Amino acid sequence: MCVEFEPRIVAFMCNWCTYAGADSAGVARMESPANVLPIRVMCSGRVSPEMVLRAFRAGADGVLVMGCHIGDCHYSSGNHRTIKRVPLLRNLLGYAGIDPDRLRLAWVSAAEAPRFVQVTKEFTDTIRELGPLSQEVAG
Amino acid sequence: MIEDVRRVVAERLEELDGVVALRRSSEGVAPHVFRKGDDLSELEIAPRYPLMTVVSRLHKAFPDIRLGIVARGCDERAFIEMAKREQVDPDRLFIIGLACTEEEAQECHCSAPFPQNLLVGTPPPPGSPNPMVADYDALSLEERRAFWQGQFVKCLKCYGCRNICPECFCEACAMEDAAWVEPGLLAPPFPVFHLIRGMHMASRCVACRQCELVCPAHIPLTVLYDLMRRDMETMLGYVPGADIEASPPLSVTLEQAPLCVTVEA
Repeated sequence: MCVEFEPRIVAFMCNWCTYAGADSAGVARMESPANVLPIRVMCSGRVSPEMVLRAFRAGADGVLVMGCHIGDCHYSSGNHRTIKRVPLLRNLLGYAGIDPDRLRLAWVSAAEAPRFVQVTKEFTDTIRELGPLSQEVAG
Repeated sequence: MIEDVRRVVAERLEELDGVVALRRSSEGVAPHVFRKGDDLSELEIAPRYPLMTVVSRLHKAFPDIRLGIVARGCDERAFIEMAKREQVDPDRLFIIGLACTEEEAQECHCSAPFPQNLLVGTPPPPGSPNPMVADYDALSLEERRAFWQGQFVKCLKCYGCRNICPECFCEACAMEDAAWVEPGLLAPPFPVFHLIRGMHMASRCVACRQCELVCPAHIPLTVLYDLMRRDMETMLGYVPGADIEASPPLSVTLEQAPLCVTVEA
């Protein structure tokens, strides 16, 4: 029997922009993938490497970090940390042999419900193609 | 060369409260605070040991103490990163800089085998980069994964890499926090254990190689950290330990430390 792989995706969303964007997508009855498990954080800058790595360890096949566009951060510069940290962590995953495309950074504002849907769909497709992470970190 | 070190230390002890260096005794060689009048024939310069950790502890315990340190290039780089993070007081530390030998520089693949404040010895040519780092980009994801899984499975979770590291001074360590690394597993869980440390080292690792030297499982940790050092330089123009005025870029805004590359988001 062959069960089709459904990716498990953890999405860290900032309270001020992306979470509101996701909410308006829902209110507008736009369909976004049910694969995405939202975790609301106060700022994308709060998302530490520990949180991302722990999500992978806990069974996520992909991790999204989403927040306000640069210049729009509720805390002025919280996302400045994020935009430096995530690319570094992507590289580190790659050095350890985990496909860096399993981690994606995306800015989604409160007014960008269609973009929220587009990003989550694209990312789910990417991860579906990559397959389960357990193939990469077995043992 | 060691006689020159002893002479400079003796001179400096006229005005400093003590000089941190290595001392030989019947027990072996260990860190020591030399005071004025001490027998400096016991002072040693080998093996390499991260003496900045000792200085940091002394600075915290004795807020008025003025110290010197016999420092190699890596000790001075460790000092620079520690000073930025308020682990030592630069106004209370005098660096007695010592150049490494050409052989030592090669052994450490050291790109800067002498301190900026060089007082003893002549700068050797830099060591050649670790060939594994130089050729790393050619490896496939599968090859990288196979390599590191083979390495990390040997880990005894002794925390030796963290304990020896001059830049690992957090009071609470994420690698011991059950929220991130579930306890009770040997080898420790991948990817959390080793990659948390990899990320934490990104803006701090001064390439002293001590973690790799002390690792009882001989895990070549500095391959990973050298790659992260390379990325810090290409992405953020930051070389840990090079410039005491440069802010750690991951802790400040884009205006204070801009990205050198375009990041899609």
